[in-house]
Amino acid sequence: MFERRLYYHIDWALLTAVLALCLLGVVMIYSTTADPTRGTASRLFVTQLYAIVIGLAAMAFMMMLDYRTFTDKSHIIYIGLLGLLVYVMFFGMVQMGARRWIPLRIFNLQPSEFAKIGIALVLAKFFGENRGAPGWTDLAIGGVLTAIPFLLIVKEPDLGTAVTLLPVFLAVAYLAGMRMRILGVLCVCALLAAPIAWKFALKDYQKSRISTFLDPSQDAKGAGYQQIQARVTVGSGGLTGKGFRRGTQGQLRFLPVAHNDFIFSVLAEEQGFAGVLVALGLYLFVILRTLEAARLAKDRLGSYLVLGVLASFTFQVIYNITMSAGLAPVKGLTLPLMSYGGSSMIATLAGFGLVLNVRMRRFTN
Amino acid sequence: MVVEERRRANARLAVLQYLITVLFSVLAVSFWVLQVVQHAKYEELAENNHQRTLALRAPRGLVFDREGRVLVVNRGSYGISIVREHTKDMNQTVRLLASVLGIDEGGVRAIVDRHRREPTYRPITVVQDATPAQVAAVSARRLELPDVVIEQVPTRRYPLTMAAHLFGYVGEVNDKEVADDESLHSGDIVGQSGIEKIYNALLMGEDGARRVVVNSVGREIRTLEEEEPTEGKRIQLTIDLDVQKAIEEGFDAVGLNGAAVALDPANGGVLGFVSRPAYDPNAFAAGIDRAAWAALNTDRDRPLNDRAIQGRFSPGSTFKMAVALAGLEEGIITPDFRVHCPGHANFYGRDFKCWRFSRGGHGSIDLRHAIQQSCDVYFYTVANMLGVDRIHKWATALGLGVRSGIDLPNEVQGLVPSTEWKREKMHEKWYAGETISVGIGQGQVSVTPVSMAVYMAALGNGGTRVTPHLLKAVDRGNGWEPAPVPKPQSTVDISPEKLQAVRDGMWMVVNEAGGTGGAARIAGHDVSGKTGTAQVISNQGRAAAAGKTDRNLNDHGWFVFLAPRDNPQIAGVVFLEHGVHGGNAALVVHHILDTFFAKKDGRPLPPKPVIKPNMNPSMG
Repeated sequence: MFERRLYYHIDWALLTAVLALCLLGVVMIYSTTADPTRGTASRLFVTQLYAIVIGLAAMAFMMMLDYRTFTDKSHIIYIGLLGLLVYVMFFGMVQMGARRWIPLRIFNLQPSEFAKIGIALVLAKFFGENRGAPGWTDLAIGGVLTAIPFLLIVKEPDLGTAVTLLPVFLAVAYLAGMRMRILGVLCVCALLAAPIAWKFALKDYQKSRISTFLDPSQDAKGAGYQQIQARVTVGSGGLTGKGFRRGTQGQLRFLPVAHNDFIFSVLAEEQGFAGVLVALGLYLFVILRTLEAARLAKDRLGSYLVLGVLASFTFQVIYNITMSAGLAPVKGLTLPLMSYGGSSMIATLAGFGLVLNVRMRRFTN
Repeated sequence: MVVEERRRANARLAVLQYLITVLFSVLAVSFWVLQVVQHAKYEELAENNHQRTLALRAPRGLVFDREGRVLVVNRGSYGISIVREHTKDMNQTVRLLASVLGIDEGGVRAIVDRHRREPTYRPITVVQDATPAQVAAVSARRLELPDVVIEQVPTRRYPLTMAAHLFGYVGEVNDKEVADDESLHSGDIVGQSGIEKIYNALLMGEDGARRVVVNSVGREIRTLEEEEPTEGKRIQLTIDLDVQKAIEEGFDAVGLNGAAVALDPANGGVLGFVSRPAYDPNAFAAGIDRAAWAALNTDRDRPLNDRAIQGRFSPGSTFKMAVALAGLEEGIITPDFRVHCPGHANFYGRDFKCWRFSRGGHGSIDLRHAIQQSCDVYFYTVANMLGVDRIHKWATALGLGVRSGIDLPNEVQGLVPSTEWKREKMHEKWYAGETISVGIGQGQVSVTPVSMAVYMAALGNGGTRVTPHLLKAVDRGNGWEPAPVPKPQSTVDISPEKLQAVRDGMWMVVNEAGGTGGAARIAGHDVSGKTGTAQVISNQGRAAAAGKTDRNLNDHGWFVFLAPRDNPQIAGVVFLEHGVHGGNAALVVHHILDTFFAKKDGRPLPPKPVIKPNMNPSMG
C-alpha cells in the first residue's frame, strides 16, 4: 500500500522545516519550564517530546493511505468528531473554567484541535465533488457543516479554537471559485455582525480583552498586563536576544503561560530578532511550500484538502505571532508546532501528513 | 480538471501566496521595530520589571564617653515596607497588610498617603520596629503580599537610662528638613534633639543599596550588586560616665525635678548634664506612637523641656558672687569693705529684709563672710553703690544673661537687666530702687542652669567664659581625632587677689561653721560653692494661696560649685525645682564631687546615696 516510488515524492524539505519548528518549540519549552534550581527537565518538556513522537506516527498514518480514502470516509470522521465534541460537552474535564479535554493517560485529548482536520476533510470532499463555482446553496451547506462544530466548541467555551474553523471554510470556498462578490458580501455581513456580537455574544472578559488591546494602559495590571508584558518581552530581546534560558521576562514569570500561548515571545526575548527571523522564515517556508502542494495537487479534492489544512494553521500562526508581540488582543490561541500542547501537536502533524500525502500522490491515479 | 478552472485556482493560490508573504513581511518589520528600533525603551522596562533596589540602612555612629565607654548603640530591628512598583491594588494590599500585622488600617493608609508622591521604587515603611510575630506573619503571607518587603533596619538604642536630653532622640525626617537639606531623603532617620540633632551629619551614615532580581510575585531570586552602607562616624563625648551617673543617682535619691551641669572649667568640656524629669529616648527610636507623644507633650512636668538649657529661673543668692566681683573690679569696694546688717535696710524709702531678719541680722560683716552667710543687706548696699549697668557688665562677662553656646539645640537666653534693656524692651526708665533686688539675684534676673555652670567655670579659671561643649573626638575611620575646643565666648581680666576673696567666701560657705553649704563638703578637696533660693511666689502670695492650689509653690533651690578652690577641676550647678533651698542641692552636689574626687584619688566610687531633703523653708 505504500509504494516505493511514493517514498521518493515525499516533500523532505517541508518535513524538515516542520520538524525544525517542533525542535525550536521544544527548546523554548525547555527554557521556560525547566526548574532552574534543580537543572532537570520538567514534565512538560518530556510530554511535548512524546506528543511529537505520537504526532509523527499520526503523520505517517495519514500518509500511508491515499488521501481519497480519508475524504471518502470524511462523513464518518465528521460525525465521529461531532460525537467527541458532544461527549466533551457532558463528560469532559474542566480546566481553567472550560470543559475542553478528555483525560487520557499521557495527556488530555482536546477534540476541538482535531475538528480542524475533520472540517478540512469534509469541506474538501463537499466542494471537490461539486462542479463549477459554488453557489449560495453550496456555501450555505458548507457553512452549516462548519457551524455545527463551531458552535459546539464555542459552548465549551473556547472561542479561540472555534474561530480557527472559519478560515478553513473561507479558504476552501475561495479556492473552489466562490465569487469575489459573495466574499465581499460575507465580509460586509461580518462587519455588520461585529457590533451585535459585541453586545450579545461576547463575554465581559472577552470585551475587556479587546478594549484593553486598544488601550493597554487603561488596565495596566489586569487584562492589559499580559499585552504590555508581551511587548516588553519581545522588545527587550533586541537584535541577538538575552541568550538561552536567560530571558528575564519568561524566566521570572512576568509573562503568563510562557510555554504555551507566549512561546514566540520567549523565543523573541532569548534569541532576539535573529531568532524571530529564523522562525518566521521557517513558518513562511512551510506555508508557501504547502501552497505549492495545493497547486501541484492532482485533483481539486487534494488541492482543497491541502488548503483547508493550511488555512487554520496559517491563521493561528499569524494571529499568535502578532499577539506574542503584544500587537493583537490576548486570546488563548496556541502557536502550531511550537507551543506546548499534545492535541495541537498531534493534530497539526497529522494535518501535514495529509499535505505530504496529497503532494506525493500527485502523479498517481 | 477543466483547464480554465485550474487556471483560476492557481491565480487564487498565487493571491494567497502574495498575501501571506506580505503579512509575514509586516510581522518581520513589526518585530524589527520592537526589538531593534525601540529596544532601549523595552530593555529598560524589562529591567525595572525584575530589578528592585532595596536600601541597606546605615547604622548611626556609636557614642562614647570621654573614657571610651559606650553610651549609645544600635540594635537590629525589622521594618515592614510596601514597594509600590508592582502593586496592582493598593487598597487590597493595605487591607491585607493591616490585618496580617494586626494594626489599624486607617493608620497604614495615612502613612501610604503621606508618601504617595514619592517614586514608586522607594519603600514606604509601615511598621518601623516590627515584632517577631509580625515579621513571621508577613513572611508567611509572601505570596499574597508580593509588594511588601521586610527590611533589616538598625535602630538606635540607649542602653543607659540617663542623659535623655543630652542624647536627644531620633525620628523620621520631616518634609521641611528634606527640602532644606538635599542630602536627606524622605524616610531617613535623623536626630531630632540633643547631640543626635546637632551632630546628625556626623552620626548619620550613608545608606547602601542592594539591587536584586525579583520574580513576578516579588520573590528575590538573586542579588545583582550590593553597595555596603557606611556606618555613621563614631563620636566621643566630653561626658564622664561616672560623673553623669552620680548626678543621675543624686536626682534619683533626692526625688526632685531640676537640672545639673558639670564642666571642666579649663575648657568648658561638659562632664555631666541632666534635666529632670526625663523621657526614654528609646521610645522614639522606632517611631513613637501618637498616644505616647501626646502624653509627653501634655505632661504638666514637661519632660521634653530641657531645663538645663531651656529653663529660666531667678538665680537668687548664687548671683552674689557676680555682684561682689563687680564691686571689687569696679573699685567700689575692697574685700575688707564692711556693712552693718541689722536684718533689714532702707533704700529709696522702701524696707528690704535680710533673710536673717528674724534673728537680728548679721551685724558688721565683710565681703568673705557676707558671701559665706549670704547676707542680703551687704549685697543690697553694694548693688546700690554699683548701679545696675555695672552689675550687668560683670554678670555678662561671667556668662549670665547670655547664651552659653553649648552644642545642643534650642538653648534659651537668661536675663540680667540693664538701663538700656529696660529702655528698649519696656520703654521705661530704670529706677535705682530696682537695682536693690538685682543685688541678691531677684527681680528681673533670670538664668539658665547651663549659664550658671559657665559662671562657675569663669570664676574658677580667672575670667574666661568657656564655651560648654560635648564633642571630644570623632572617629572618621582613622582612629580618634580630637575635636577642636570651641573658642571661649569672652575673656575678662580679673585681678587674682580680688577673685581669691570671692572664692574664699565660697570656700567658707562649704567649709566653715555658719556657711550655708556644709552638705557639699569633701575632706581634702576644698569644695567651694554657694546656695541660692529662687522664689516661686512672694511670701504674702504663698500665704494667700495656701490650700487653694494644687500647684507646687515651694521655692527652687540652687547650689553652684567649683572644686578645688585653687585650680578647680570641676565647676557646675545643681538646680532643684521646688527644692525649697540650696542646702538640698548641696546634698546632690556632695555625691557628684565625692564621685569625681574618688576617681581622682583612686578611691572606690561612693555607693548610691540616700538623701533626705529638708523641705522646711528656712534659709536664704
